[in-house]
Amino acid sequence: MEKKRVNAVVVGAGAGGGVAAKELSEAGLSVVLFERGGLVTHEDHGNDELTAQRSFPLACAFGPDNERYRRVYRDLQGNERVVLPNEWDYQNNAACVGSGTVCYGAMAWRFMEEDFKMKSTYGTVEGSTLEDWPISYEDLEPYYEKAEWEIGVAGDDSINPYAPWRRKPHPMPAFHHNREARILESAAKDLGYHPFSIPMLRNSVPYNGRRVCAHVRQCVGFACPVDAKNGTQNTVIPTAIETGNCELKIHCKVAELLTNDQGRLTGVSYFDENDQKQIQPADIIVLAASATETPRLMLNSTSKHFPNGIGNRYDWVGRNLQGHAYCGADGLFEHEVYTGEGPGASVAICDFNHHNEGYVGGAMLANEFIKLPYAYSSGYRPPGSARWGQEHKDFQKRYYRRNASIRGPVQEMPNYESRVQVSREVRDHWGIPVAKISGYKLDEDIQTAEFIADKAEKWLQAAGAVETWKSIPGKGVSGSQHQAGTCRMGDDPQTSVTNKYGQVHGVDNLFIADGSLHVTNGGFNPVLTIMALGYWVSDYIVKEWQHGNRF
Amino acid sequence: MTPDDLLNNVSRRTFLKISAIWTGGAWIVGIPGLSSQSYDVLTREEADIMDLLADCMVPPDDFAGGKEAGVTNFIDQQISRNGYLTEDRDLYKTCLPALNRTPLKEYKKHFLTLDRDARIEYLKKLERGFYDHSTAEEIWEPFIPSHFFAKMRDQCLMGFYGSPKHGGNNNYVSYRMIRF
Repeated sequence: MEKKRVNAVVVGAGAGGGVAAKELSEAGLSVVLFERGGLVTHEDHGNDELTAQRSFPLACAFGPDNERYRRVYRDLQGNERVVLPNEWDYQNNAACVGSGTVCYGAMAWRFMEEDFKMKSTYGTVEGSTLEDWPISYEDLEPYYEKAEWEIGVAGDDSINPYAPWRRKPHPMPAFHHNREARILESAAKDLGYHPFSIPMLRNSVPYNGRRVCAHVRQCVGFACPVDAKNGTQNTVIPTAIETGNCELKIHCKVAELLTNDQGRLTGVSYFDENDQKQIQPADIIVLAASATETPRLMLNSTSKHFPNGIGNRYDWVGRNLQGHAYCGADGLFEHEVYTGEGPGASVAICDFNHHNEGYVGGAMLANEFIKLPYAYSSGYRPPGSARWGQEHKDFQKRYYRRNASIRGPVQEMPNYESRVQVSREVRDHWGIPVAKISGYKLDEDIQTAEFIADKAEKWLQAAGAVETWKSIPGKGVSGSQHQAGTCRMGDDPQTSVTNKYGQVHGVDNLFIADGSLHVTNGGFNPVLTIMALGYWVSDYIVKEWQHGNRF
Repeated sequence: MTPDDLLNNVSRRTFLKISAIWTGGAWIVGIPGLSSQSYDVLTREEADIMDLLADCMVPPDDFAGGKEAGVTNFIDQQISRNGYLTEDRDLYKTCLPALNRTPLKEYKKHFLTLDRDARIEYLKKLERGFYDHSTAEEIWEPFIPSHFFAKMRDQCLMGFYGSPKHGGNNNYVSYRMIRF
C-alpha cells in the first residue's frame, strides 16, 4: 500500500537518525522516522547481564532478535557461516528507538584535529585506503557543541591539554572519580601523564528536566533506571515528535530504496509490524541505519539505473569497514579498589592519541566499566588461569574487588577488503538478502595496539598492581558498536560514496547521517561524532531546502 | 484504533508514558529458581550428571556450589521449549549420558561414581580434546566431546553468575560471594 508522500524519510532512530529527524522536522519538513525495533525501557530487561548489550549470551534485550535476523561472517581463512545477533561476529548494534544511545557507556568524545586529516599527518600507509576527511575539526566544531548542549554532556576539557579547541564549555560539570579512578589518576600524574574525567552523555546535575546520575553498577549495556543517561530516545526524538511534523514508525523494516524510470529516488519500501509490504514516498531520504545496515540497504536497492546498488557506481559502498582495535591491560591488586560506584569508567588520558614515534595514530586510554559477575568469570584473568573448578572460584572471591583494567580504542587504518556485502544465499525473515561481513586489520593496527597496551600496563603497575598482563586484539575485522567507514565522505566520487555533506554522489536526494560517513574513526568512542554529523548533514539539507532546493 | 494507527502513530502521549516508566526507577528483582527435583527436559539421571558437572565447575565451599545454586535448573529451563538455548537441547540429551559412559573403558566406572580426583582428571582430558577422536565415542555423535565441555562450562558459569531470573544463582549466592 502506498502511504502519503512526505518531505523526508529517515531510516534508523539511533544517534545520527534521531538528530536528523529532529532537525528536519523542526525546520518544517514532514518526516517519517523508521525504526526496525521498538521502545526498550529499563523495566523490560532490568539488570539482566545475560541479555544486556555488552555480553548477550542468551539474547539481545535491545534487539535485534535471533528469530528474524542473521548475517554471514567470513573469517580470516575464508570460511563463511551464518551468525545470529547475539554472536560476537554478527557485530551487533542495538535495534530500538535510540539504538546504542539507550544502552551505551555514554562516553562523549570529540575527535581531535589530527583525526580529520590522518593522511596529511602520517602519510600513506601500505595496504590502507587512508584519506583525510573532506571536512575539518573546525567545520564540525559548532555541531559538536550543539550535540553536547542539546543531548547533554558532563565534562571539563580544561584539564586535558590534548583536547581540541572549543568555543563553549560542556553544559554540565565533570563527574568525580570513584576509588579505582582516583588511584589511577594519581598514578597517571606520577608518570607525567594528564588524567581527566571522561566527558559523558550522563547528567552530573539535573539537565533538561531529568535527574542526576545514580552511579549504578549496571550502566554500560543497560538502559538507565533513573533516565539520567542521555540518548536520542529521551532528547531529540521526543522533540521531533513534539513538532507535529515527525511520525515515528516502529517495528518497521525498510527493505529497499525505490527509483523511477528516470533514475530518481522516490521513496522506500518497508515491511510493517504485520510483515505487510508498504511504500513510503518521499522527496529526500536520509540513511542512518548503521555502518552495516546502511550499505546493505544501498546494495540491496538495484535497478536499471543502479545495477550494482544505489551510490555504488565505483564500488565503494560497504568498503573500509572499521571499528577499533581495542587493546589494554589488566591488573591485580593486594588491596580492594572496587567500591561498586558505577559506571566505573571515569579517568582517561589522551597522551597517546597522536604523535607516537614510529606509529600511526593511537588511542585514548581509560579505566574499564564495572565488570559484571558472569563477564568477570569468563575473562579478565591472567593467561593460563583456571577456567573452572576450585581455583577459578577462589580467583573470583579474591580478585573481584581487587582488579582494575585499562582499555584503549586504537584507531584502525581503513582498508578496501574490510567490507559489508550482501549475501547471495542467505535471507532474513522478510526475504531480504542479509549483510555479509569480511576483512581484517592491518599489521599497523596490531603494532599500535601493542604500543598502547604497553602504556596501559605500565600505568597499572604505577598504580600498585602486583600482577599485570596485556590484551592485544586479533587480526579479524572489527565493527561492532563502533562500526564505521562503509560509505565514506570525500570530494572524489571515484574514491568515496558521499560528498562532504553526506549527499550520495550522483543521487541528489539521498543522504547519509551515521558512522558510515567516517573516513577514519578516531582513537575514541565515536557516538558524539555521529551525532555532530547528524547536525552537520541536516543543517545542509535544511539550508538548501529553505532556498527552494528540492534535490 | 486500527493496527495501522498503532503502528504509525507513536504519539507524544505514548512516548511520554514510556519515558515515565523509564524514570520510574523500578528495579526488576529476579525470582530465584525453584529447587524442584523434577525438570522439564532432563531425566533424573541426566540431572544428576548435570548436578555433578555443575559442582565440578563451581565446587561447594563456604559458598554454595553449582548444584546448590541451581545451575542444573538454569540449564533445564534454558534448553526447554521456552528457554533461550532451545537449540542446545539435543546437545545436552546426547552428551550428558555419553559423558557419563565414556570413563567406563578407562576407569571402569561411570562419571557419576568416579572418585573426586579421577573425576577432575577425566574432565580435564575431555576439555583438552582427548576423547574427540577416539574410536569408541560414537555415543557422542553428532557432537564433539570437547565442544560440549566448552559450552557446558560456559553455561554453568552463566547459571551461577547470571541473574537469578533465569533459574540459577539461587539467593544471589554468586553476587554475595564476590561482594558485587
